[in-house]
Amino acid sequence: MKLQPTLHRAWPVAAGLASFAVATALLFGHSTPSIPGFFWMLAKGAFGDGYAISETLVKATPTLWCALAVAVPAQLGLISVGAEGQMYAGAIAGGALVLFGPRESAWVLIPAMLACGAAGGAAWGAIAGWLRARFGITEIVVTMLQNFIAINVLEYLIHGPWMAPNSGNWPQTADFPAAVTLPPIVSGMRTHVGLFGGVAAALVLWFAVRRTKWGLAVRVLTGNPRVASQAGLSHFAYIVGAMAIGGALAGLGGICEASAIQGRLESTFLQGYGLSGYLVSWLAGHDFRWIVPISILMGAILTSADTLQLGAGLPASSAMILQGVLFACIVGWTSFAKRIR
Amino acid sequence: MVVELNRITKRFGEVLANDAIDIRIHSGEVLALLGENGAGKSTLMKILYGVHRPDDGEILIDGVPVRFGEPSDARSAGIGMVFQDFSLVQAMTVADNLMLASSRTGWWTGPGSRARGDAVRALMAAAPEGRPGSRVCDLAVGEQQLVELSRVLESHAQLIILDEPTSVLTPAEMERLYVRVRGFAAEGRAIVLITHKMDDVLACATRVCVLRHGRRVYDADMGTTSREQLVDHFIGDDALPDPLGAPLFGKARLEVRGLAGNREDERVGPIDFSLAPGEILGVAGVSGNSQQLLGGLLAGLVAPSQGEVLLDGESVHAGRFSRERIGFVPEQPRLNGVALNLDLATNLALKRIGTLPWLDPLRTDPRGAGDLLERFDVRPADPRLRAGTLSGGNLQKLVLARELGASCELVVACYPTMGLDLGATWFVHRQLHMQAAAGACVVWFSEDLDELLASTHRIAVLTKGRFAGMVRADQADRRQIGLWMAGAS
Repeated sequence: MKLQPTLHRAWPVAAGLASFAVATALLFGHSTPSIPGFFWMLAKGAFGDGYAISETLVKATPTLWCALAVAVPAQLGLISVGAEGQMYAGAIAGGALVLFGPRESAWVLIPAMLACGAAGGAAWGAIAGWLRARFGITEIVVTMLQNFIAINVLEYLIHGPWMAPNSGNWPQTADFPAAVTLPPIVSGMRTHVGLFGGVAAALVLWFAVRRTKWGLAVRVLTGNPRVASQAGLSHFAYIVGAMAIGGALAGLGGICEASAIQGRLESTFLQGYGLSGYLVSWLAGHDFRWIVPISILMGAILTSADTLQLGAGLPASSAMILQGVLFACIVGWTSFAKRIR
Repeated sequence: MVVELNRITKRFGEVLANDAIDIRIHSGEVLALLGENGAGKSTLMKILYGVHRPDDGEILIDGVPVRFGEPSDARSAGIGMVFQDFSLVQAMTVADNLMLASSRTGWWTGPGSRARGDAVRALMAAAPEGRPGSRVCDLAVGEQQLVELSRVLESHAQLIILDEPTSVLTPAEMERLYVRVRGFAAEGRAIVLITHKMDDVLACATRVCVLRHGRRVYDADMGTTSREQLVDHFIGDDALPDPLGAPLFGKARLEVRGLAGNREDERVGPIDFSLAPGEILGVAGVSGNSQQLLGGLLAGLVAPSQGEVLLDGESVHAGRFSRERIGFVPEQPRLNGVALNLDLATNLALKRIGTLPWLDPLRTDPRGAGDLLERFDVRPADPRLRAGTLSGGNLQKLVLARELGASCELVVACYPTMGLDLGATWFVHRQLHMQAAAGACVVWFSEDLDELLASTHRIAVLTKGRFAGMVRADQADRRQIGLWMAGAS
């Protein structure tokens, strides 16, 4: 009997994955000699050796942070599509400190950089929350438009005032000092401790939603806002707060990526993670426990898409196509399951 | 048309809502289905209307077995129902709602269309003062119900089920409804009137059927029974409300000075009054005179545009004012009073959310919740149950348990007995009187003038957002109150 609810949730996901396999085989199978060989190539690309696993986790890390940034506002029924812009805001704020702040030891600089990144993302997210809570402007449109603003602010900075003098007119900042590079999990691999941070954040959030008064208040606010205001809960504070926390998480993801992988700010270095994170959060039903494994799955898809590009000569947009097909398959089956229940 | 319900049985989890009930309904009769909250009246009729499927038993129409999978099946078999909790689309206009329900609505619904004309005519027939262009969310309860009524009364149903139709109507509207119901029976339709009010039964039923705890306990033609017999079957125990105590006169505890506020196109005030500790003020008036807004202003939930509400000298609108000092019973609990997705224990704890511990906020007193539910007779009294599974009357009791379960300094109660049966009504009166006896000021909104005359100290009449007049309950003159309600001061 205990298994039944799990089964109810699991079968549409299984059906979705099966449909994903069929659709992927139809779309891309022709590029390899055999269809099983195609899937073998996908799997090997994502998990084939230490390097592949590391790359999968490298791609999973910002995806995970972005998914958390979507899932936190989603607890209140808010739909944020602005994780990518918030990542850039975090990367810019953290980068500003690293590039122009005082030279200190790593013990001071790394926490300060992370704090700046979180604050930048939080401020960027809070703008949308404030507009929503104060004026009722839909957060969907605001966060989407904020993405373009953040991306173009970065473009302006790296083409102009922040461009490294020795970059040969290449649009990028100077390299971050070595002291602020987040350490790798396994030395020699690119996977960095930002992944642990994301997993820890997911666990903390899961605990907060399940066991704390904050989680209770959120459930009351989504259940009936009028009752919540009678109980003295401030709708305004929770909306702005949830958007700011979401923004802070994305901001952390952005500055981690800049520090550990790029080592500087450059053009569109976070492109696509906002979308991936958004899809992960929705696939996980905004459940923090599911976000971690699904982020890793998404990282695997992104990594194997790179392999396809190299090994089977498929275009770079295959990654987007794979993500879209996966999302459509699973969401399609879950809504079908709800309908026939 | 003869509709037969044979051995209808329905379970919800462990609760047996209907236990092998047999009922026959004939054309031309008004059958009153009488019983307490949770007796299974609504469930039985929702089975007939295709909302629920019975676990056992059968439905026959003119001797032919039928099976209703959905309400639309029941509608095409000539059965219509007006629900207790309205099924109107809040964001749409009255006319749009009426057209939405009609099968005759074509693709063009704009001005000049036949569907719109029909809708407006239907509304005018049931409610001459109805405003077809208003949005439903801007209407008061009584007005919304008239829309519901006109929707079903005009749908050519041969059997019309009315679920607690008079609980929100003013006496004059009630009379009009009774006349209409009798008229429909005379035209050869069958009417089922779900009610817990003896007045409804006596005013227009031709036959009565009493349900208790999911069983049919009594069935008689109105000619062969009496009020006393009905009461005996209807209510077992003889709970009576406590007599009203005198207010503890002295220094005013609640002071309302120049209070004014507005929300969208509603306006209230300026209103001035003060209450002594233990004093109960009844606010009478036809619904739609900004009762909701005034209630929200007094309870500190809506910020005033002018004036102030002082409780023991402290403004209830101040940010640090503790919500636990005020008991607020909103109207329409399903919409305004509970979070339907959460369990009963959580709903009961909402008021104290500010003082709950950060970790595991609800682990502290699961037993307290159970006791409170027992005390306020919420059925079933299981703290783990989702609030959405409770019936309308039990939701009302759940809100009352939360708001009146502990003693407050100010009670603002909007229609606290709406939808409750006689026993529960008396229980609510007693709770309000006990709050007053403990020193609370009580502001009590009701459309039932008899209730206010019997159980409050003073009565104010709210007309168009202002107090048209105020009078001591023991010196009140109904004619004068009626004039105030009509807007003559």
